[in-house]
Amino acid sequence: MQKPIPVPAPGSQVHWHLDAPYSLRHLLIIAAILIVLILTGQRTEMDKMVMMTTEAAGKLLGVADDSQVVRGLSRVATSMWPPVLGETEEISRLPEFKRDQLPILSRIEVQERVEQRMNTETLQLEPHSESVEVLVKPVGYVVSVFIKMIETLEIALWGTIIAVILSAPLAYFAARNYSPNQASYTAARGFISLLRSAPELIVALFLVLAYGFGPIAGVLALGLHAAGFLGKFYAEDIENADKKPQEALEAIGAGKLKTLWYGVVPQVLPQYIAYTAYILDRNLRMATVIGLVGAGGIGQELKGRFDMFQYGHVMTILIAIFIFVFILDQLSARIRNKLI
Amino acid sequence: MPDRILKGEAMIHFDNLGKAWPDGTKALSDISLHIPRGQFCVILGPSGAGKSTLLRAVNGLMHPTQGQVRIDGTALTHATQKQLRRRIAMIHQHFNLTSRLSVAANVLSGLLPVVSTPRALTGWFRSEHRRKACGLLQRVGLAPTHLKRRAGDLSGGQQQRVGIARAFMLDPEVVLADEPVASLDPKISRDILTLIRDAAREHNTTVLCSLHQIDLAREFGDRIVGMRDGKIVFDGTPAEFTDERVSALYHGAHWEDPPKKAEPEAAGFELAHV
Repeated sequence: MQKPIPVPAPGSQVHWHLDAPYSLRHLLIIAAILIVLILTGQRTEMDKMVMMTTEAAGKLLGVADDSQVVRGLSRVATSMWPPVLGETEEISRLPEFKRDQLPILSRIEVQERVEQRMNTETLQLEPHSESVEVLVKPVGYVVSVFIKMIETLEIALWGTIIAVILSAPLAYFAARNYSPNQASYTAARGFISLLRSAPELIVALFLVLAYGFGPIAGVLALGLHAAGFLGKFYAEDIENADKKPQEALEAIGAGKLKTLWYGVVPQVLPQYIAYTAYILDRNLRMATVIGLVGAGGIGQELKGRFDMFQYGHVMTILIAIFIFVFILDQLSARIRNKLI
Repeated sequence: MPDRILKGEAMIHFDNLGKAWPDGTKALSDISLHIPRGQFCVILGPSGAGKSTLLRAVNGLMHPTQGQVRIDGTALTHATQKQLRRRIAMIHQHFNLTSRLSVAANVLSGLLPVVSTPRALTGWFRSEHRRKACGLLQRVGLAPTHLKRRAGDLSGGQQQRVGIARAFMLDPEVVLADEPVASLDPKISRDILTLIRDAAREHNTTVLCSLHQIDLAREFGDRIVGMRDGKIVFDGTPAEFTDERVSALYHGAHWEDPPKKAEPEAAGFELAHV
């Protein structure tokens, strides 16, 4: 016969309390969160967003008559389709063109061109046709987008290299247990915050003014921002590293730099590689955007075509960026699996 | 037992050493002790007796609040610490190897105080240094195949052998062994202590070794120092460390839940003071 464990009567135990998990305080917290959500949601027009999206879904399902969202999107889509693959150039405008040495995958065509010209006698506009010899490159634009993509890759790579080089000394001074004094620690932490607080795009905007259009501004913008990120994370890993090997080296008087190199860096290296790989990944994606302000790479091409209303070209670039990011994601996932 | 090991010229002097933690608790109070050159001195005592604190005072990992430590006549201060530390090696309870570095790099890291920074950062050690590392690893019973392996992949006993090799890289005059066998099994513990003792004897190195195993203390120590509550309550040869002394050291007045903190003297045993 099993005996039940007796339950003490309420109030019979003086020093033992196990309260119910939720109290009025929790209710108040939930209420406060709700109020914040409602207020901020209204200011960011989340209600309108839900309405318009529902309307668009209704239009697609054939329930709603009209949807602003669907109209806008379809207008963009029709002007962007089809993507531009080729290029044509007037041969008369090409310097040093050799007829017997055509670039690969290209041919010469004669095109009729009709232009409105002013007749000097009648002062009327008259259609005037002329035949022009053009060089047609069926995949010429794809090739030039590809070259721009390679440039984008190079910007990302050098941005990462500069970030690593800058962040290593920063991390040393920003690690509380290695920084020589309080002033150097505060200065390093402040500089890291400064670098991290400046978004790449804004930094690039100013660097374009300093270095001119092109990849230098892009590389520096990516490198500076990422140096802040890496400096912070490297420093925190130094601070949190296993103290035991460091103590062993300190005990024999090895000095700070050597202790760091032999007692800390080997221990934190896997995390460092992971952070750096993340920064490379992030820089690759950012490098496609950074050209929008003229800092080189595919973004600069995109901005130029967009400003000239050449939406077909824009489409080609967008597809290229998508393929590029997709391949990189696959690659980085594979590399990460191998490293860790 | 040569007499000089027990009564010879002192290598380590503790002069009225005291340490109070910031919260006021006393880790060490009024320790006066001298350890002759070449002596294997075992420090015994319950956990929290201040054994580690005493050891760490010798190389300045802990700074005393009272008294001083002298190494070979030189007082350990901030000014002399860097020079003195090169003469004092340490073997740790948890081996304190850099687990992701190779065995060879760990042993060579014992040379860091005397190696130039460029050499240290590139790992380009002199060939005689590399030969010395190999010689020591052979001496502690490891195989050439261990050289390139990660230190963290070795067993505990093997890691402590690497720790010993690292400690002897700079021909230390003093070796501090802070519970070097606390996490090893009895057989390996004996092997490791034999290694430390024999290596120390070969180089006339003074060893200060804290232990928890009474049998090992009796077997390896030239001298046993018993500590409790930051004080020395026994100091003598292993032969003098009788079973009564052992129970006085470990049980004493604290065996029962004490109603008030009793002084060790109150235990009623004759206590050997220095």
